[in-house]
Amino acid sequence: MNSTLSSPPWTCPFCALLCDRFGVDAGETLKPAGTTCPRATRALAQFGSAPSQATPLVNGQPVAVDAALDAAARWLRASRQPLFGGMATDVAGTRSLYRLANACGAIVDHAHGRALMHGLTALQDRGAFTTTLAEIRTRADLIVCVGSSAPSTRHPEFFARCGVGERASLQREIVFVGGGIDPALSGTASDGVSTRAIPLQGDLYDTIAALNTSLSASLSARPPRGLHPELAALVRRMLEARYTAIIWTPADLPGEHATLLVEGIDRLLKTLNRTTRAGGLALGGDDGGATVNQTLTWLSGLPLRTGVHPGGLAHEPHRYDTARLLADEAVDALLWIASFTADLRPPETAVPLIVLGHPGLTAACTDRSGPTVFIPVSTPGIGSAGHMFRADGGVVLPLAPVYADSLPAVTNVAASLASRLAEVAA
Amino acid sequence: MSTFRLRGGRVFDPANGVNGQIADICVRDGRIVELKPGECAGHEYDVSGMAVMAGGIDMHSHIGGGKVNLARMLMPEDHRLRTREAASNPLELASCGVCTPGTLATGYRYAEMGYTAAFEPAMIASNARHTHLEMGDTPIIDHGAYVMLGNDELFLRMLAQGTDFERIRDYVGWTMNATKALGVKVVNPGGISAFKFNQRSLDVDEAHVHYDITPRQVLNVLARSLTDLGVPHPLHIHASNLGVPGNIESTLATIDALQGLPGHLTHIQFHSYGNEGPRKFSSAAERIADAVNANPNISIDVGQIMFGQTVTASGDIMKQVRQADYASPRKWIAGDIECDAGCGVVPFRYREQSYVNALQWTIGLELFLMVKNPWQITLTTDHPNGGPFTSYPHLIRLLMDKSFRDEQLARLHPDVAQQSPLGSMTRELTLDEIAILTRAAPARLLGLRERGRLNAGAAADIAVYRENADREAMFTAPEYVFKDGELVARNGRIVATPAGGTHYVEPEFDRSIERTLEDYSDHHLALNFRHAAIGRDELCSCCNGGRLLPAACGLHHHDPHDPSGQQS
Repeated sequence: MNSTLSSPPWTCPFCALLCDRFGVDAGETLKPAGTTCPRATRALAQFGSAPSQATPLVNGQPVAVDAALDAAARWLRASRQPLFGGMATDVAGTRSLYRLANACGAIVDHAHGRALMHGLTALQDRGAFTTTLAEIRTRADLIVCVGSSAPSTRHPEFFARCGVGERASLQREIVFVGGGIDPALSGTASDGVSTRAIPLQGDLYDTIAALNTSLSASLSARPPRGLHPELAALVRRMLEARYTAIIWTPADLPGEHATLLVEGIDRLLKTLNRTTRAGGLALGGDDGGATVNQTLTWLSGLPLRTGVHPGGLAHEPHRYDTARLLADEAVDALLWIASFTADLRPPETAVPLIVLGHPGLTAACTDRSGPTVFIPVSTPGIGSAGHMFRADGGVVLPLAPVYADSLPAVTNVAASLASRLAEVAA
Repeated sequence: MSTFRLRGGRVFDPANGVNGQIADICVRDGRIVELKPGECAGHEYDVSGMAVMAGGIDMHSHIGGGKVNLARMLMPEDHRLRTREAASNPLELASCGVCTPGTLATGYRYAEMGYTAAFEPAMIASNARHTHLEMGDTPIIDHGAYVMLGNDELFLRMLAQGTDFERIRDYVGWTMNATKALGVKVVNPGGISAFKFNQRSLDVDEAHVHYDITPRQVLNVLARSLTDLGVPHPLHIHASNLGVPGNIESTLATIDALQGLPGHLTHIQFHSYGNEGPRKFSSAAERIADAVNANPNISIDVGQIMFGQTVTASGDIMKQVRQADYASPRKWIAGDIECDAGCGVVPFRYREQSYVNALQWTIGLELFLMVKNPWQITLTTDHPNGGPFTSYPHLIRLLMDKSFRDEQLARLHPDVAQQSPLGSMTRELTLDEIAILTRAAPARLLGLRERGRLNAGAAADIAVYRENADREAMFTAPEYVFKDGELVARNGRIVATPAGGTHYVEPEFDRSIERTLEDYSDHHLALNFRHAAIGRDELCSCCNGGRLLPAACGLHHHDPHDPSGQQS
C-alpha cells in the first residue's frame, strides 16, 4: 500500500499543521511515507495496517456496542452536571457532540483547554494581529520565535511548511528569543537563512515588556534607555523588516498568566503595524483543539469552556477547566473524547466516565476503579473521513481515510447517545 | 403529498406584476401550484387581512466564515445578551449573540422574521470549506457565498504580467467552481494585497506599490470575466476607500471603470461621503443616486447603519486597521491570509449624538429614498457592519413611515438633524416596493429563478404578515413562514428546523488553467493543490445534507428596462 486508498492526498491529523504532502505506508503498523516527522511516525505507529477489532467495555467487561451506548446514555441522563472533556475530534464529531451537550446540559472543555485559553482570553480582551503559513512562506524576511521551546518540538514540520531555506531569493533571518536555535534549521544556513538566539532579559514576561518599551520609544524618537543591546537591536531589525512573523507555542508559555504574554505580543505586533508589516502565529490547537473551538463558536456563539444550562449558555474560561471542575467535584459525569491517539488518557476521577477513544486506550479503561464505559472509535484520517482546522485559523482540510474502519466515528456514537436521550424525554 | 392553500391574502409578488391583489396561493410538495378554486387542498390557511410575499432574501449578510467566527470570539459580551432564548423553545439548540449570533441563532432569527435565504458576501477562497461548514450549520434558510478575488497574489501577478484575458477568466471560472460560489466579490480592489506591502491607501487609479496595476484594471477584468462566464450575479464590489471622507470620487470612478458592464456596489452608504462643510464630512447621497439612476447596469445595496453596539468584520484590512483606533470596546483583530486576502474585525458603537454616525444614518436613508428604480437597490445593513439583520423590521418602518422617520431624525446630532435633506423627503416606500427591495430584486440580481416570486412552479418560500400600521411590528413576527412548503415559523416562533440548501454556480472554463494554478500553489502556498477544490459530495457533507441548488449560467443579466423593472 502506498499513500492512500482514496484519490485525494492524505492529510495528517496528528498535529495542527495538517501536513498534506506525504502519504502512509503499511507494515505491521502504519508509518509515514515521504517525511521523517517524529510526531506523525509516533502517532501512526499506534495503528495496525488493518482496522482495529477493539470492543466496547462496561466496567472492564467486553459488551456489544448497544449495551455500552445504553449504559452511557443512562449515566448521562442521571448526571446533574456532565462534562465533555478531551474533545479530540473533528468538525462532524463536534457538531454531534454539541447536539448531545444540548440534550444533557453539558459543559465542554478540551484536553488542551488551558493552553487554548491563553490565546482566547487575550483575544477577548485585546484582539490579535495574525498571519498564516503561506504569508510567512511568501514574505516573512524576519521570523521571531518567542519562548524556551523550539517550534519544531511540537510541530516538527513548521519551518519546512514556511518554506524556510527553499528560496535563496528571499533572505530570511530567524531569531530565537529565550530559546536556542531550533535544531530543525541545521543545514539551512547556506540557503539564504541566518539564525541567532537572544537570551531573556529577566524572564519572558520582562523580555516582552522590554521589547514593547523599546519599540514605543523608537517610534516616539525618544532614545530607549537602559535596554539590553540585543533586544534594542531586535526592535530595530523588526522596524526595518518588510514583514516580521512572530511565532509562539501556547502550550509551552511559562507561568500561570501566559495570557499576559500573548497580550504583550499582540501589543508588539499592533505597534509594529503602525509603520511596517508584521503578523503573529500561535502554534496550538492540536488534537482537534482549533477545530472544536471554531465549530463550537459558530454553533453556539461562544467558544470552548462553555456550558449548555437550563437557563442558557454560560462561558467561563477559567472556571470550566477540566482539572478544576473534577477537583471541585462540580461535575458528576465525564464524557472523554480522544479519537486521534492513545496519548490523551482520561484524567483520574471517581465520577462515572465514558470514553470515546482510540482503541489503544482499552487497557487504561479496563483497570479503573470507578464506573467506566469505553467505546473504541474511528480516527478521522485513518478509519474515516472528516474536516479539521489548521493552526493558523481559516484553512480547513479534508481528511481522507487510509482504510474503511470497523469502528464507529465519534459523530455516530454521539448521535446514538443523543437519540437515546431523546427517546426517554419523548 | 402535502398540499395547502393560503386563502384570501393580499399578494405582493412584484416579479409577476402582482401588487396587493387578493388571491389564493397554493402549494404542493414544496412548490407553488395552480389549484382551481374548488379543488381540494389538504389544508387551508385563512390569510385574509394578511400580506403574502415570497420569503425574504438577504443578498449581503456576513453569516459565516473566518472573520465572522473571529468576531464571535472577540465579543463574548455580545453573546451574554441573548443566552436565555433557547431555553424557551425545545426545537432550538442553544445559540446566542445579537450582532454576531451563532449560526444556529442566525437561521432561527432570519426564519422567524420571514427570511428564507441569506448570502455570505465575502468568502475567502482559502477559507471556503469553513464558510460552507458554517452556512451548513445555519438552519432553515438557503445560503450561498461570493468568493473574493482581486487581492489574491496569483490574480494580481497574472494581471501584472499581461496574461491573456482568457486565462484570467479561466482562473475566475475555476475559483467559482472550486469554492462552490454563487458570485465573485472584489474588496478594495488590490488594496488588501497592497497593505501586505505596507501601502496604506489605494485609489481607483493609483498603482499597487508592488504589482504596478490599478484597481481600475482589476475591476474591469473581473467584470468582463463574469460577463463572459455567464455568471448571473454581476461583480459584487466593495469599492476603494471605504469610510473615507470624500470617497464619492472613488465610487464614481469605480462605476466608470466598469465601462457599462453590470456591477453591484455593495454597502454603498459607506462609499457615499463628501468632504464639504466645517467637519469636512458630508453626504454625497444625491450624486450616488444620480449615478445609479443614470446607469442601469449598476445595482446597489445600502448597508444602512443602525444605532447601538455592533462589530464590523471586513476583508478590507487596509481600512479596518486605519479605523482600529475608534474600536469600541477597544480591541480588534486583523490578519493577513494565505496570499489570498485579509480580514479586520473592529467592534463599533454607532451613536445618535455623533455627528459622523448621525450623518451615516441619514445618508443610507437618503439613498433608499432617492434611487428611483427599486429593482436597482436592495435592503441591507451589511450585517453586522452597519447593524444586525434583526434590525430590518425597524429599517422597513423607517422607509415606510415618514412621521416615524422624522421622530428618529429629531433625536440625532442637531447639526445633522437640521441640515439633512432627509427631513424634506416625503417618499414612503410601499409594500410592493419593500417586496422588491427584500425579495424580488435580490433574487433577480443573483439569478435565482425559482425564488423571490410566487408564480406556479416557484419554490414555496413564503412569508405571511398580519397587516399592522406599525410596520416594524408587522415585519418582526410574520404569522406564517414556509420554507420549500414546510411551515417553519408561526407567529415569530420556530416550529421546524429543516436544513437549508446551497446556491452556487458552475461556470464552464478551460481546465488547462489548473497546471498554472498547481505550479503557483506548489511554489507559494501552504496547501496541496489537490485539496484546493470542493467537490459536490464534500459540499454536501459540509452543508449537513442540505440541498445543492446550482443556478444556471449563461443567462443574460437582467435588463432593468423590462416590464417588471418599470413598476416604480
